[in-house]
Amino acid sequence: MRQRTTFLHRNEDAIDPASLKVSGRTLSGPNIRAVREDRFTLGLDELPAELQELLRLSQELYIRWTSPMPYQAMGPWSSRLSPGLHVFYTPQADAKANVASDHEICLLLRRLGSVECSSPNKSFSRLPNDRFSHSTALEYYQPVYDLTNFVEYAVQYACAPSDAECKTCFDALKQASSLDFSYDTISHVVKVTALWGRQNQPLSVSAPASHRVEVGLLTPNEPPHLEQHEIGVTGLLTVLGEDSKPAPTMFTFPSRHKQASTGFSSTFLTPTGLHPTMQLHINSNKPPMEEDTYCALHALLTLPRTIFADKYQLEDTLFLASKNLTALRYISQPVDLEAPDYVMDIWGSSVLLELSTPVAESKEGFTAEIPLHLRYQSPQHGGESTFEVPYPAVFWACAAEEGTKFPSSPFDRINLGYDGLFGPRTLFWHLDPVAKSGSDQLVIGGKVPVLDLDKSRSINTVTSIVVVVGFAWVVYRLMMVYLRTGYGVAQPVKAAEKKQQ
Amino acid sequence: MANLLSTVFSSPSLVFTAAFLLRAILLYTDIDYLVFTDAARFTFSSPSSSSVSGFLPQGSPYDRETYRYTPLLAYLLWPTTPAAAASLPGPRVLWASWGKILFAGADLAAGWLLVAVLRRHRGLSGPRALQYVGAIWLLNPMVATISTRGSSEGLLGVLVAALLWAVLERRVVLAGFLLGLGVHFKIYPFIYAPAIVWWMDAERMGSRSKPINRSSNGLLGKLQRFVTPERVVLTLVSLSTFAALNLAMYALYGHDFLQHTFLHHVTRIDHRHNFSPYNVLLYLASAAKESGGFKIESVAFVPQLLLSVVLIPLVGAKKDLAATMLAQTFAFVTFNKVCTSQYFLWYMVFLPLYLPHSSLTRRPRLGLAALGLWVAAQAAWLQQGYELEFLGRSTFAPGLWWASLAFFLVNCWILGLIIGDLGSSSTIASASSSSSTPSSASNKRKN
Repeated sequence: MRQRTTFLHRNEDAIDPASLKVSGRTLSGPNIRAVREDRFTLGLDELPAELQELLRLSQELYIRWTSPMPYQAMGPWSSRLSPGLHVFYTPQADAKANVASDHEICLLLRRLGSVECSSPNKSFSRLPNDRFSHSTALEYYQPVYDLTNFVEYAVQYACAPSDAECKTCFDALKQASSLDFSYDTISHVVKVTALWGRQNQPLSVSAPASHRVEVGLLTPNEPPHLEQHEIGVTGLLTVLGEDSKPAPTMFTFPSRHKQASTGFSSTFLTPTGLHPTMQLHINSNKPPMEEDTYCALHALLTLPRTIFADKYQLEDTLFLASKNLTALRYISQPVDLEAPDYVMDIWGSSVLLELSTPVAESKEGFTAEIPLHLRYQSPQHGGESTFEVPYPAVFWACAAEEGTKFPSSPFDRINLGYDGLFGPRTLFWHLDPVAKSGSDQLVIGGKVPVLDLDKSRSINTVTSIVVVVGFAWVVYRLMMVYLRTGYGVAQPVKAAEKKQQ
Repeated sequence: MANLLSTVFSSPSLVFTAAFLLRAILLYTDIDYLVFTDAARFTFSSPSSSSVSGFLPQGSPYDRETYRYTPLLAYLLWPTTPAAAASLPGPRVLWASWGKILFAGADLAAGWLLVAVLRRHRGLSGPRALQYVGAIWLLNPMVATISTRGSSEGLLGVLVAALLWAVLERRVVLAGFLLGLGVHFKIYPFIYAPAIVWWMDAERMGSRSKPINRSSNGLLGKLQRFVTPERVVLTLVSLSTFAALNLAMYALYGHDFLQHTFLHHVTRIDHRHNFSPYNVLLYLASAAKESGGFKIESVAFVPQLLLSVVLIPLVGAKKDLAATMLAQTFAFVTFNKVCTSQYFLWYMVFLPLYLPHSSLTRRPRLGLAALGLWVAAQAAWLQQGYELEFLGRSTFAPGLWWASLAFFLVNCWILGLIIGDLGSSSTIASASSSSSTPSSASNKRKN
C-alpha cells in the first residue's frame, strides 16, 4: 500500500514553511485552510476477500460517492458529481463470470448502504458503448447520503479492536466530501481517494511502518506559458520516514476539469403536483473561455426512479427554447414512461441537457426549467410520500485546442458518467452548487400524493358491491326486455299493449 | 335563432361546412398525436441513421415507446414525416398536421354515413337525420376536439359507422372486411361480431340459396338454419382479413407488433387515474405484496364480456342493430378496467342513430337528467383529478374513487334505459321495413 496526502491551499492561506516539523514518520504543523486529498494505492491481496472475488470478475469498477454537503473545490479536484453513490462498472466479458458477479456487486454495494440493488442486469442502466472507448458498460446510482455504514464495515475489516488511531482515521471519512474507488484490469491496482473540501483543518500526517506515505503541501501557481487546459502548482513534498525536511517542488499538468468560478442553485417550482419542474438558477451567462472557443453549458441530472424526464417532450425545440434549454443530449435507457415506482428494478436514469444562455452584453444570472414527471408510488398511511433528487452537475463543456492531449495526470479523475459522452478534447468548467437558503444539503425534493391506506380499507368491498349492483341492474333490464319480447324482433302488438298501459 | 338553426340543419352543405370549420383549429396537440407522428418518422427512417427518412417503411413504429397501435396507423401518417413533407407540394406545416386533417376527415365521413343510415334504414327525413347527426356528432365540440388534437379515435368512428352501414345494406363481404380491419385496428370492435351474425338471419337477408327445412326443429335443424351463407361469408372474410393483416404485421415487426398491439393490453397494470370504477382498486392491488380473498378486478372481464358480447346482442340485435351496438359499446366502456374520455367516442358515434326513437328524446326531462348526471359525475372526477395532478393533493380516496363509482352507476342507469328502449323499438323495425331495402318483405317475420 502507498499513500499520497495532498493539501492544496490558496496563496493567502499559506503557512510559514519553518513551522512544519518532520520527526520520524510524522509531519505536523499549524492548522491550515486547504483542500485535502488522501490517495491510497493498494494491491489486490490487501483487500477483503469478497472484494478480491468481485474484482477478479470485473473489467472496470469505479465507485464514486459524493457528499450532499456543499464544499469548496480547488484546482485539479474541481470535477463534480451529483451527491450520492455512483457506480460505473464493466464486468468481465465471459458469461460465467457475469453470472457470478451479478451477485457479488450488489452484495458489496449493500455494505455501502445501498439496499435496492438486486443485480446489474435488473438494477443497472447501460451506458452507450458506441461513442468513446473510455465509458464503462453499466451505471448505477443510489441516494446514499452518508458513509456511516461504510466506515463501520471498513473499521471492522482494517482495524484491530484496540487500534484507536486506525478508527479515528476512518471516522474522518464521515466528514469527507467525496470518496472514490477505482479499479481496472490493465493497471491491476485499486486506488481509493478521499477528498475533504476547502476548510480549516489540522496539518498532521503519520505514516505507519507498513507503508510509504508522501505528503504534499501545494498552492496554485501560474508560470508563464501555462495553457488553459493546464494547472500549475508549487510547494513542498515530504516522503515520511525518508526525508528529514520538506523538499520544494513546482510542476504543471493537464487537467480536463476546472472551476468556472460561478455558481448555481436548484429547486422545484411549487406546487409540484405529479409533474414537478426543476428550476436551475445559473449565476452567470458568460462562458469561462474566450469567445473564439466553443463552449456550451450542460446540466447532468441524476434522477432516482421515482422521477423521470420524457425524452419525447424534450424534443420540441420551441418548447425547449421557452425553458432556456437547447437540447436533450443524452438520456440513459431504458426509461419506462408509464410504470409505477414499485414494480421497477432499474435505479433510475441520467439525463444530459444542454442549456441555452441568454445573450447579453453584461454578465447576468438566468434560470432554466426542466419539466419532469413523478411515478405513482405505493400507497401509504397518510396519503403522502416524498421524493428526493440530488443537485445536478452543471458545467461548461469547451472544445480544447486542436492537438491538445490529456495524458494521465497524478490527479486525473475519469469515468464520471458524463466525460464519456463528450469528445476526448473537451474541457469541463464546473459551476459550484449552492444550497438554497433554508437548507444545508444539495438535495431537493417534495411530496408525492399517493393513495391513503387509512382511507382504502373498504375499496375492495365497496368497488365489488358497486360493480355487482351495476351489473345486476343491467341484467335485470335485459331480463325485462327478454321476458316481454323474447330475443326476436319486438312485435308491434306487444309494443302497442305497452303503450296502452 | 330557431329559424336560423332549422335553416342550417336543412342544408347538408351548411352542416358539413360548419363541421369542417369547427375542425379547422389545429392549434392544440394531444400527446397521442406526437406518439403517432414520432412512430411514423421511426417507421420511414432507415434503422442505421434515425435522421434520414425515406419513402419505404424500413424502420419500426415500435421504436417509439408507448406506441400501442397497428403499424397501419403509422403508414397513414407518412405525409407527416420530414422527408415526405419536403417532397410533397404545399407548406410543411400543413403536412405536419396531415394526421389531424385525416382524423377530422374521418369524423365527417362517419357523419355522412350516419345520415345515410338514418335516412335509408331508420325512416328519418333528410333534414331530421342531419339535425341529429349534426347536433350529436358533426358539431359536437368534444368529438371535434378529440380529432383535431390528433387522437385516432375518429378513424374508429368511421370504420364502425361504415361497418353498420355495410351490414344494413346487406354488403356482407364489405362488412366482413371492415370488421376484420376494425378489430385489427383497435380490438374492441370484435364485440359487434355476435350482434351482426345474430342479426343476419335468413329471413332478413332474404336468402334463397338454401331451402329452409321447417320440419326439423331439433338441434341439428336449428344449427342448419343458423348457418346461412351470409353468416359463413361474413365470418370467413372478417377472420381472413384480421388474420392476413396480423400475419403481415407479424412478418414485418415480429414480437414487437404482438407485444405492443395486443399483449400489452393483457399485461398492463392500469394504475394511473382514469374514469374506470376499477381504477383505484387496481392501483391498490398492483402495489400489494401478497394477495388474499376475492379480487373483483381479476374477473372484471366477466361482467364486461357477458354483457357486451353475449346478453345484449342476444336480446337486442334482431330488434334494433344500431341501438344494440350502442348498448354493447356502452357496456364495454363502462365495465372496462381503463376508461378515458377518448373511449366515449366509441359509443357516441351510435347516439345519432339511437336518440330519434329513444325514451330520452320522447321524455326530455329524462334525457336531460341522464345528460346532466353523466356530465356532473365526470366534472366531479375531473375536479378531483386536477387537484391530484397539478396541486399534488392525495385525492385518490375517497374523492376520485367515489367519483368514478358514481360515474359508473350513472352509466349503468343510462345503459338500462337504452336496453329498455330495445323492447319497444317496433317503430324502427317498421320504419326500416317501409324503406326500400332489398329484403323489406321479410323483415317483419320472426326468426
